[in-house]
Amino acid sequence: MNKMNGILKVVMAGTLALSLAACGANNGNNEGTNTGTNAGTDNGGGKKEDITITFQNIYPDPTDPKNGMIKKIVAQYEKDHPGVKIELDSLNTDQQKVKLKTQAASREVPDITIVNPAAQMKPFVDAKLFAPLNDMVAENGLKDTFQEGILDFYSFDDNLYALPDGNNIGLVYYNKELFDQAGVKVPTTFEEMVQVVKDLKAKGIQPMAIGEKDTWTGSFLFMNVLLRTNGPGFLQEVIDGKKTFEDPAFTEAVDAFQSLIQAGAFQEGATSFDYNAGENLFKTGKAAMYYMGSWATGGIETSSVNGKVGVFKFPTVNGKGDVNEFMLAPGSAFAISADSKHLEETKDFLNYFMLNFPKEAFEVKGAVGLAQKVEGDFKAAGYSDMAMEVLGMFKDVKGGDLAFDNTMNPGTAQGHLTSIQNLFVQKMESAKVSKEHQSAYDSNK
Amino acid sequence: MNVLKVSKFTIALFVLPCLLLYVLLVFVPIIVSMYSGLLEWNGIGESTFVGLANFKTMFFDDAVFWPSVRRTLMFAVFSMAEIPVVLFIAILLNRYVKKPNFLVSSYFLPIILSVVIIGQLWKTIYNPASMGGMLNQVLEAIGLGSWTQAWLTDPSIAMYSLYFVALWQYFGYHLLIQFTGIQNIPADVYEAAKIDGADGLKADWYITFPMNIPIFKISIVLAFIGSLQAFDLTMVMTGGGPAHATDLISTHMYNMSFLSMKYGYGSAIAAFLVLVCLVATFIINFIFGRVERKYT
Repeated sequence: MNKMNGILKVVMAGTLALSLAACGANNGNNEGTNTGTNAGTDNGGGKKEDITITFQNIYPDPTDPKNGMIKKIVAQYEKDHPGVKIELDSLNTDQQKVKLKTQAASREVPDITIVNPAAQMKPFVDAKLFAPLNDMVAENGLKDTFQEGILDFYSFDDNLYALPDGNNIGLVYYNKELFDQAGVKVPTTFEEMVQVVKDLKAKGIQPMAIGEKDTWTGSFLFMNVLLRTNGPGFLQEVIDGKKTFEDPAFTEAVDAFQSLIQAGAFQEGATSFDYNAGENLFKTGKAAMYYMGSWATGGIETSSVNGKVGVFKFPTVNGKGDVNEFMLAPGSAFAISADSKHLEETKDFLNYFMLNFPKEAFEVKGAVGLAQKVEGDFKAAGYSDMAMEVLGMFKDVKGGDLAFDNTMNPGTAQGHLTSIQNLFVQKMESAKVSKEHQSAYDSNK
Repeated sequence: MNVLKVSKFTIALFVLPCLLLYVLLVFVPIIVSMYSGLLEWNGIGESTFVGLANFKTMFFDDAVFWPSVRRTLMFAVFSMAEIPVVLFIAILLNRYVKKPNFLVSSYFLPIILSVVIIGQLWKTIYNPASMGGMLNQVLEAIGLGSWTQAWLTDPSIAMYSLYFVALWQYFGYHLLIQFTGIQNIPADVYEAAKIDGADGLKADWYITFPMNIPIFKISIVLAFIGSLQAFDLTMVMTGGGPAHATDLISTHMYNMSFLSMKYGYGSAIAAFLVLVCLVATFIINFIFGRVERKYT
């Protein structure tokens, strides 16, 4: 009997220790993943408890004007709404993507998070992770602040699920000083562009910069070539079964793209440069041209080449295409978790945030390429000539295409991205590239 | 049998908490992940049970899978081949260097650095000369300009560049283990051998090697398992690129699960990796079991 008692004690102690440990782990877990969405409700008494809204975002860089901007709007909102705390979870783009997918798998999406448009956000919408924002966007006239048609990229079955922070187009930045040094002019056709590359190279100037470790960069440029050889909507035609990747327009684009690479346009070892490292080559005046979305404007303005940079539209390829059709890049967007414990408050905050977004962005000179209409005189506010040129270009936009991974499913997109990255390290037959694409598409349908 | 004079029940009781934690944190996830390997699932939405279809795709239709297995196994072979070299250096250090501790600690330094730092460091070293790459600049400076390479971006050598960094980083780690092992061999054994006429290399062959076998085995197992699971260095330096040329099993698994959003397929690869690890550990244990029995 005595022995039994002893054992019982041990069991009790063990259980206690285990349960304590379990509790501890559990608490830590909650704080880690959900950042205490609602720390106080469970043990709350009569008075209204403070609530916390988790705001996952992709502006972690304190030198990025948007980082300061987001903090400013949040601080103002917290001041106006005592009892509401906005917790920022700022991550790099890639980290955020992975974190969100992990959180989504266990349905622990933060109150506000960031998603990419169209095909990239579809799996999340299909899994019913996001709350429809139709009612919220109607309040305070928020819907009317957005540009015509931009919200379509974030709507599924007439429900709007996210609000974009930007709307950009693909264009070529060039360094005027380096162009003068080599005595070359802005190319008006793709063939001239290849020649410019050769001329620059002959003068010992690095013609173009790219950060091809992040595979989307090369894809973005390639898709612009394809947009010229085929016109808009190639990928949609493939999805609809009207075309295949073996289409002549596609192989022509591959050949043109390779002629640019083979002319030595890009820096040595381009595939080991990530996005920032690639862009830095241009921003430090070490490369003459840089193809990128117009979101790069702000960063170039604050870099050492500011004032020497101009922009031009991506030229026609083999005489085909319309220069006013651009690669369109509707930006990453803010979505609200369907499981948010404070859905109403979160909606209210995001409404406030988006209403103030263009105004604040304008002030920190980040208003080029916003998805919303911006009031104010850009010139008078001190925006650079380059920024004005970019803004002018927006007015010429007559449609275009979305990036590959915004149109195709993730599996096909990965196949495409690797296939294009491969072109940077070895010359391939265009037929083979077509085939790689087609088989990636077929096996991921 | 009942030497400890406690009941089996008590023993079970004391073992239980740890066992429970171990099972919950190790075995359950493995089983769950093996089950996900049977699903077609994007990690977010609905999943459908597809049986062994993922494994079929993996073994027969995935052009990236087998090359990544080959690269992973090659990595394991290189890592294990490093250990005898390390052991030899440890012997030299132990015998001919007066204050070997300082050297051993210096060799150990790269282990303390985070892999991300190591990766960034070597990325800059491997860069093309025009981008400030140290290795290529040195080669040019000493007149070996024709030896310069695009170390990380030429698909045929990028993987070897990565192997080298990994071997370099873990050199000090294994050196420390082997060095400690050798120091633990009692000096009187050597003295006795000296009287019998066994000195230098002969003593190493008949004393150091046999007595150091358990330690040697630890290093081999660590090197093997470590290289099967290698992930971070590749991710930092090349991301598996250019065009899958440096993809290992683990990076392929990551790309599939998180970038291509085929969580089920990624889990199937993970299950394969676990299996390879288990089988390999079993084989290594078996071989060393025989070797140890022979010498002790």
